[in-house]
Amino acid sequence: MSKLPLEGIRVADFSWFGAGPIAGNTLSVFGAEVIRVESEAKIDGLRRGHPFAMNGDGSFKSGFNVSGYFNNFNASKLSMQLNLNTEKGQEIGLRMIEKSDIFLTNFTPRVVEKWNLGYEKLRAVNPRIIAAYAPMQGMEGPHRDFLGFGAVLTPVTGLSEMSGFPERGPIGIGTNYPDYVVNPGHTVTAILAALRYRNRTGIGQMVELPQIESVVNALGTAVADQLANGHTQTRTGNRNPMAAPHGAFRCADDPESVGSPDRWVAIACNGDAQWRTLCGLLGHEDAANDVRFGSHAARRQNEDALESLIGGWTRERKAEEVMAIVQSAGIPCGVVQNAQDILDRDQHMRERGYYQYIDHPETGRAAYDGPAARLSETPGYFRGGAPLLGEHTMDVCERVIGLSMDEIADLLAEGVLV
Amino acid sequence: MAARALDGLRIVEFTDEVGSYCGRLLADLGADVIKVEPPDGGRQRHTPPFIDVLGENVDSSLAFWVHNTSKKSVVLDLNTGGGQETARRLALSADVVLEDYPVGYLVARGLGFEALRGFKPSLVYTSVTGFGQTGPHSGYAYSDIVGQAMGGIMTLAGEMADPPNMIYGNQANISASIHAAQGTLIAVLHADATGEGQLVDVSAQEALSMNQETAMQTWDLQKRNRVRTGSVGLLPFPIPGSGVVKCLDGFVLLFVIAPAGKDFPELIAWMQERGMAEDLGQEPYASICANLNMTLLTRVTGDPTAAASIVPSFAHIQEVIERFFATLTAKDAYEQGQGRQLLVGVVSTPRDLANNTQLRERNWFVTLPAGNATIEFPGGPYRLSETPVAIGRPPNLGEHTNEILASLR
Repeated sequence: MSKLPLEGIRVADFSWFGAGPIAGNTLSVFGAEVIRVESEAKIDGLRRGHPFAMNGDGSFKSGFNVSGYFNNFNASKLSMQLNLNTEKGQEIGLRMIEKSDIFLTNFTPRVVEKWNLGYEKLRAVNPRIIAAYAPMQGMEGPHRDFLGFGAVLTPVTGLSEMSGFPERGPIGIGTNYPDYVVNPGHTVTAILAALRYRNRTGIGQMVELPQIESVVNALGTAVADQLANGHTQTRTGNRNPMAAPHGAFRCADDPESVGSPDRWVAIACNGDAQWRTLCGLLGHEDAANDVRFGSHAARRQNEDALESLIGGWTRERKAEEVMAIVQSAGIPCGVVQNAQDILDRDQHMRERGYYQYIDHPETGRAAYDGPAARLSETPGYFRGGAPLLGEHTMDVCERVIGLSMDEIADLLAEGVLV
Repeated sequence: MAARALDGLRIVEFTDEVGSYCGRLLADLGADVIKVEPPDGGRQRHTPPFIDVLGENVDSSLAFWVHNTSKKSVVLDLNTGGGQETARRLALSADVVLEDYPVGYLVARGLGFEALRGFKPSLVYTSVTGFGQTGPHSGYAYSDIVGQAMGGIMTLAGEMADPPNMIYGNQANISASIHAAQGTLIAVLHADATGEGQLVDVSAQEALSMNQETAMQTWDLQKRNRVRTGSVGLLPFPIPGSGVVKCLDGFVLLFVIAPAGKDFPELIAWMQERGMAEDLGQEPYASICANLNMTLLTRVTGDPTAAASIVPSFAHIQEVIERFFATLTAKDAYEQGQGRQLLVGVVSTPRDLANNTQLRERNWFVTLPAGNATIEFPGGPYRLSETPVAIGRPPNLGEHTNEILASLR
């Protein structure tokens, strides 16, 4: 294997839940040594979150090391237990940060201050540190101590208002979406830019990612339209002003689809030529002459009728079959896939080998999200699965911080390394 | 002028909807990003809404603006030999080429990764497409909704009675672009250190995968599929103090039972202060409200006897809570609730976001010129203390063609 681009970079990962740890995960997959600082005194809730690995008899495994939710975001990291509610714990933490290149947290400013992890404190011991703070509302301002995580951020940032069907209330989008790519991905982008700047100048800095700003910036045109034009947009379901039909259409049920047999395809039809082709492909050439659908503007105007028409065409066919037929003419179309499809049935995903399967002492072999950026010469990979809670406490204390065995024994006895 | 994190990094991009947000992130961080566009501009330049004061034209699409700040624009016709030759020289002047054309389009025009790296081994070449450069679907036609479908996030969104829901804002393109920005910078760091360039291949389908939250692991570990559960979310049944409730002028999301902040009694105290707690101070409701937290719910879900004595009261408790919130504005419910450390989130409309107290107090919005006028504009995803992000007006179509072509001579 060639040397990974971030080999030699050490990350002091003082984050928890989703948005912070995933940022550390990306740095880890490209070679950084990422030390997750954790404590049983304030356990990462994801270590206790579903889905858990299962025993042979169908029961769930238990303990802090068997959550697929946690493990997927923490592959290849080292886990160090450190109680930051103690003065000595804070001191040890600072000594570790002194030996690190990047500091990462998504705790609220209140907790950051309580633990003495503010940027000025860090800079005093390590002027070259790149210190990334990713709290929900930012480090300052009247809402800085507001509580929240992805479930609350989704409505607060406008995603709930703007997504889903207009006949429904703002029911949300089914997941804590901003936690998984938007916020950690923006955080890593800023960290890497700061790292390049440090490589060229020797100067470290503070990176602040207020999650609300990060998400609203990625929220399409809705806020820009409000600011520039005073137009207040709202949700429009699965429709799009540039394409019609544009939506998800029900296909024949698939009894092998676990959990729910309903199957759907998404279709995005751009322009009149694609529309005429689509009618032919699905065996309804006559519909291409229907004046209600004769132009993009007409199809937009009669979109309810258009959607029921197509839903009637797809309902008796298998979703995979509709996708293959429609794609054969270069029209965007895809099965609304579930995880079973993506892991087991999607030949394309399998051939590309996106998921990395890693052995783990407690869960057994499990799938991890691989890096979505595929680098041809230095492909990212995990050197191992997620760490057991505190698995590397001794190693980090000794090798990284330089504590003696006697000192470590004292800290253990004093309840600092828990 | 403050230093910029990516000063001195030149990026030539051939992007439209999929990869342009990647270029924008890097441009706002200080990279010199030159966008090569077809003579009529790409699809994004024709997408509504448009900026009213500029009228409807190729330079006024907000869909283009939000994904193309701080860039330069050069018009080249890549279907002519001359256009291809100029594009090749321009690409070879760059540290990074960023593109989102269908697989093979640029290869056929002499602008593929292999062709360019033969002339410049240090070149980083980032391709952002629906399904990536290899595999049986690499030639599939792509659109954002198709990415969201194939990437496994639509199946999780919406009510079971409805079709699966698309997430607003072209989030397949956004996720792909954000992964592309990370991958590009990692490859740049490697090229800086070793002189070795490489291909960065991003598939929007894969870029969305992490957004499945726990669905992937649930299948892998338990062979169960998560399905869309709409307004109920992941709770086993409706629970008081959770979910979306209506206010005077909008909605808030409540998540009082989550293990953060104050617990249920604080909500009841707030309602009592406003004289809106009705009979929740009396039995059987009082003792349920006093103890309503995750521990109680765990007990209820595992113990049918406890469930039978408690769950029937949930509907009434929630109705009283709903009557209370119906007397508040959404903003007051949010700010006062959070002030009491209750987990309350406002369902922000775009107007609410434009007036958001926190965003305004922190001066997040920026001002950009729009013709002879100015407009306010969203202010970027992060703040860097030494090398601040600077958001510049997106280029008009071909605005820098002469300047850039002259520099190549």
